[in-house]
Amino acid sequence: MTSSQDTTEFVVRSIAEEALANEKYFGELDSVVGDGDFGYSLARGFEVVLSGWDGVDRSDPGIFLSKIAIIITSTIGGTSGPLWGTAFLRAGTQLTGLNEVTPANSIAALRAAIEGIKHRGKSDVGDKTLLDALVPAVDALENAFQAGDDAKTALGKMATSARQAADATSLLQARRGRASYTGERSIGSPDAGAIAIAVLAEHLARTWPT
Amino acid sequence: MKKFINDPKQFVPEMLEGIALANPDTLRYVPEYHLIHRADAPNHDKVTIIQGSGSGHEPAHVMTVGRGMLDGACPGDVFAAPPIDYIIGSTKLLASNKGVLLLVNNYTGDRMAFEMAEEASSADGITVRTLFIDDDVSVQDSTYTVGRRGVAGNFFVMKAVGAAAETGADLDELVRIGEKVNSVTRTMGVALTACTPPARGAPLFELGDDEIEIGVGIHGEPGRRRALWMPANEIVDELLGAIVPDLPFVSGDRVAVMVNGLGGTPISELYILYGIIHKRLTELGMTIGRNYVGEYCTSLDMAGASITLVRLDDEIEMLLAAPAEIAMRVF
Repeated sequence: MTSSQDTTEFVVRSIAEEALANEKYFGELDSVVGDGDFGYSLARGFEVVLSGWDGVDRSDPGIFLSKIAIIITSTIGGTSGPLWGTAFLRAGTQLTGLNEVTPANSIAALRAAIEGIKHRGKSDVGDKTLLDALVPAVDALENAFQAGDDAKTALGKMATSARQAADATSLLQARRGRASYTGERSIGSPDAGAIAIAVLAEHLARTWPT
Repeated sequence: MKKFINDPKQFVPEMLEGIALANPDTLRYVPEYHLIHRADAPNHDKVTIIQGSGSGHEPAHVMTVGRGMLDGACPGDVFAAPPIDYIIGSTKLLASNKGVLLLVNNYTGDRMAFEMAEEASSADGITVRTLFIDDDVSVQDSTYTVGRRGVAGNFFVMKAVGAAAETGADLDELVRIGEKVNSVTRTMGVALTACTPPARGAPLFELGDDEIEIGVGIHGEPGRRRALWMPANEIVDELLGAIVPDLPFVSGDRVAVMVNGLGGTPISELYILYGIIHKRLTELGMTIGRNYVGEYCTSLDMAGASITLVRLDDEIEMLLAAPAEIAMRVF
């Protein structure tokens, strides 16, 4: 990948394709204690992202992400539309105006996305949501970058961290979303959003060009 | 899965098209926003009332659009809140000079989508208020949840604010009435079977042949506890045992009772439940001012029912008794 724009597009395309490939799986995870719409909702939005791919404004990586955010909020319903839309919008805003995105810029964008999700969902780490995988994953990515790892190695560490943290959500009691109504019965199965973060991170690390 | 569908992705659009075709004089359909609205909306002499929520709960809420109830409903896909743009688009299209009241059942996704839509619509100069409905007593510990869910009791809020809006009541007055009705409305449900979302093609959860889920939500979310099947008398006692002390409803109260089928329950069984409830409440010294037995807020094909009690006063009873012309009808 030759430019930051190419890299950004690779990441978004990877997320979109993997969300579509896992529609049923994500839905099944969400059926355990939720209402089963997660996989379907996510897929309907990223389907539109892919079908409208060539027409998305690519002035810079930030604007590109912001336009993707608009597609998400206009097509994804349920809980995912507001959360994923906010995340892409905050990341896009963070990067707007930059033609070259450094690792530090990427981390700042991911942190902005996390803060957006926390604000929109009025939630934090420990509530059994996607934040429980995303926050440690971004921590791992930042540590790897600071240690001087190349992108593929750093993403591999991010994916490992996301997977461990996502699996560990089985031990948590849900405090947000429809799973929260089940109280202690939510313990024993992982959070669908957290697992999705792990699956997307693993796919990204696996397919990243060396 | 055997259902009357073509493509699961077209489940909601095809349903909405059917509703519009069945009610050509009174309703209009805007496919872009999944919006069903009154043919005469916006009416600048009244506040516009819009309800969102997911689909799969019909007749709630797309079939309660009409004079005396909603001006529009913009449902999301099955069991999913509508995308934010549907709400913003519907709000803009139907905005009246007296403002817009958004009715929202209290769920994480719906709250976020409607809060974002309210912000965006207000920024466009539209006066918007949002009312959250949370009548489900089965969610006990709200410290660890997003609070109680909005379920079938939503009908009473819709009906009351809808009737008041027809008289020209302003937005603040509608919010007052809606909050009051919500505050005296309590519901709890029970599932005998799971439901099957079309896109999933399989039951949403496993429930044994001899098991029931007490306190189930309208999306098949598990409730308070799973129990072995028991006779109708005992099921009513357990549900009323949770509902009555919650407000509490006491001797001397005049109440409205709703027995709501969740989509797969024969009407006969709903009347068996009603008969038991009627006797129990009478024994407790309450008077039943109004009753509603049938399907109001369903959960696709789930067998099960919910019971709603509303404590009436003169104002609420008058608003519930006012005429409404909606697509739900017998003849």
